[in-house]
Amino acid sequence: MSSRGASALLSRASRIRSKLQTALEATVLEVDDVSYQHAGHAAVKGSSDKETHFNVKIVSPKFEGQSLVKRHRLVYDLLAEELQSGLHALSIVAKTLHETNPNK
Amino acid sequence: MATSLSNMFLKGIAARSLSRPLNGLFYCTRYSTTVSNDSDTHDDFKPANKLENSGISLSNVIEQDVKDNPVMVYMKGVPDFPQCGFSSLAVRVLKHYDVPISARNILDDPDLKNAVKAFSNWPTFPQIFIKGEFIGGSDIVLNMHQTGELKEKLKDITSKQ
Repeated sequence: MSSRGASALLSRASRIRSKLQTALEATVLEVDDVSYQHAGHAAVKGSSDKETHFNVKIVSPKFEGQSLVKRHRLVYDLLAEELQSGLHALSIVAKTLHETNPNK
Repeated sequence: MATSLSNMFLKGIAARSLSRPLNGLFYCTRYSTTVSNDSDTHDDFKPANKLENSGISLSNVIEQDVKDNPVMVYMKGVPDFPQCGFSSLAVRVLKHYDVPISARNILDDPDLKNAVKAFSNWPTFPQIFIKGEFIGGSDIVLNMHQTGELKEKLKDITSKQ
């Protein structure tokens, strides 16, 4: 757990991971920076922030009984601060443990 | 990944844009687009009550959009010329089905962009509405396509053709 002041020094990937892990108690959490794939994206031209596009995959009990829209909205709410400070796009895979091991 | 996805999809009917787009701007090519300085994902989640010249609030415009058009997409670019991989993916999935796709280009109008975010409480684009219901972004539309949910949801729209 990082202190408040130190969070400004962490990369966006670290901040995303920390926020999601703390809130969702994920059994699987993958945070991939794919900003390089969107380097020429018109909407982000001129942006000095390079950590703009991420793929996240989350397996968490918090998603039990939640629709896809609700799961994605939950993730967006947790990362609202990042979305307002330069995070441009997020691809989300959000599953419960049961959904990743349907035979259990 | 993107290439194999493209190969999976049938060529669909050319999408039509709305006949009366906001601010009278119908089509905007990439090279003439003016991208606003503000981050496209800024969202204070407050209702947008700013009035357009017509005197109708943007939230009313959006409400009318999603009500009148069975498949309504707020995206970057237009269906025939998307300007973002995610908007492109969503349109390619929808074109797999034989349904009319109505769309507005949120890059043309920052006020519209912010109004749509507030309307759906969703911070990113594209945003897809089907028969007045908010569906989600490109991840969810692709997932619904893969599970067959999307076909089910679009079934009666297709039958109206």
